[in-house]
Amino acid sequence: MQQRLFFNLAIRNLRIHWLRSLLAAIGIIIGVVAITSMGILGNGLTLSVSESLSDVGDSIVVSPHVGYYGMGSSPGNSRISERELEQIRRAAGNADVIPVYSGGERIKVGRETGAAVIYGLDPKDIPLMLDKLEGQYIRGSSGVMAGKKLAEEYDLIVGSRVLIGEEETGVRVTGILDERGMGFDINPDYGLVFSDQWYRNYYHEEGYDSVIVKVRDLSHIESTKAAIEAQLNRRETTVDVYDTRAILETILETFGRIATFTMAIGGISLLVAGVSIFNVMMMSVMERYKEIGILRSIGTLRSEVRKIFIYESLLLGLGGSLIGGLLSFIGGYVAILIMLEETRYLFEPSSLVYIPYGMAFGIVTSVVSGLYPAWKASNLNPIEALRHE
Amino acid sequence: MSDSADPVIVFRNITKVYHLLGENVTALLDVSGSVRRGEFIAIMGPSGSGKSTLLNMLGCLDVPDSGEILINGIETTNMSDDELTKLRRDHIGFIFQQFNLIPLLTARENVEYPLLLKTGSADCDDRCLDVLRSVALESHLDHHRPNELSGGQQQRVAIARALVNDPEILLCDEPTGNLDSKTGNAIMELLSRLCTHQNKTVIMVTHDPSLAVYANRTIHIVDGRISGVA
Repeated sequence: MQQRLFFNLAIRNLRIHWLRSLLAAIGIIIGVVAITSMGILGNGLTLSVSESLSDVGDSIVVSPHVGYYGMGSSPGNSRISERELEQIRRAAGNADVIPVYSGGERIKVGRETGAAVIYGLDPKDIPLMLDKLEGQYIRGSSGVMAGKKLAEEYDLIVGSRVLIGEEETGVRVTGILDERGMGFDINPDYGLVFSDQWYRNYYHEEGYDSVIVKVRDLSHIESTKAAIEAQLNRRETTVDVYDTRAILETILETFGRIATFTMAIGGISLLVAGVSIFNVMMMSVMERYKEIGILRSIGTLRSEVRKIFIYESLLLGLGGSLIGGLLSFIGGYVAILIMLEETRYLFEPSSLVYIPYGMAFGIVTSVVSGLYPAWKASNLNPIEALRHE
Repeated sequence: MSDSADPVIVFRNITKVYHLLGENVTALLDVSGSVRRGEFIAIMGPSGSGKSTLLNMLGCLDVPDSGEILINGIETTNMSDDELTKLRRDHIGFIFQQFNLIPLLTARENVEYPLLLKTGSADCDDRCLDVLRSVALESHLDHHRPNELSGGQQQRVAIARALVNDPEILLCDEPTGNLDSKTGNAIMELLSRLCTHQNKTVIMVTHDPSLAVYANRTIHIVDGRISGVA
């Protein structure tokens, strides 16, 4: 009941000075909309980047060290030898070790010509790495699987014929691969995946372009990576070992920082709003000097006077934040529409969560701005305050 | 009246010095006295004599530099701000020259305010209405804001507010100073009635010698000292 009384006093005072209160609330509204829209934009940015990246985060990619010419390879064309592959297998323990051939080649489909990335993988490894959209995985050494984007570009379907290279060696498409996104190991979306045997027969090459190690348990990724490096790079650096999860994390972290930065810019406007609430509350204290004296003389405790003023700034913050929260939908929509030309990221939970965050920041800013004025009001000397005209 | 001999306020050797612009101004010097329950006391003296300072001390709005004040036998000198505030709320009613109603609240809410502070209860209506009737405020004015009331009406509301927590002591600082003589007399009659019928202790600061007739005793203060009691 007492709380209601103090709340009531706060509401009435805000209503009497409605223009001043409105302007202060508008400050909070702008602050909340700015911080929330920027948060939604940053999150949309991160989402759009991570969506275009492959979600493969459980792999280690081993590639020949630039500048090292391993056994069985010529200068400028370093590869991973069978012996090194064996060493990797030993170091990797129970993880899946997938040697990869990769290159590029001219292709011809019907009358259309172009280029595609070519991969050679052991047929038994293909299902481990890639998901199939249509048709069959490769069996034996014949046939090819096409990446989804390539298939779309050349209208490839299961059974289409593709001519490879200058000799126009014909191969038949046995299956279409599902879209995988940009990866750090292989990028078959615009490529063709052959069996390793076909690749060796076609190019007559020794050694692999890279080796992918897929760990069964993500917690082993660091130790496996270290074991491979210990095995192969003992005397000199022969291979580079990347952990895709670390790369993914670095990229997402970078975008996360950008998102935080944009939010901080929004936060500045909230800070300005806080200063304006502080100003309004100080004016309120100054104007109500005598009233505070009356309240104190007839038995209002210091803590109760503080409450009246804190409720006032809380109400400004609540009102401003509620309206700001609603307007944030529009602000966020406009921000991601302009920056990303895509609005579906607005309705992702990870975007929407910025609305309550922004509102909470708005409320906290208002209350914090009201603390000093409330403290000042409660510490007025009642006699001096009563004498004030 | 057995309790009329029982002192409701005792003040001993109180001294108050204000520091103004690097100078020490002695507002009260070694002032002592006591007030019995049900007494009507007038404090008189020229401006700046220290009479308002004494009233503020007795009302626990201010604390003396030295000396002691007992309210209902309780020593107040070492009380915390919260304890003094609760003492004011529960045992002392203030009536000011400027009426000092809370402008945000209606007449009735102004009266209700100290009661809500004390009890925190929602059903104060009967008590508020009783008190407002006892100060003879017309009931249709209950829902008016202070700025819609005349001076006399505001002072009646202020008295009702002072009475609502049923305090033993009413402290009045020039209660009729802003009223015409007819209204002023009505207010004085009301205060006098409260003293005789409800056994309230009334202490009133005034300039006006004609008001001294309502008082049982008059304390004269000059230059911070009691110059005489009549």
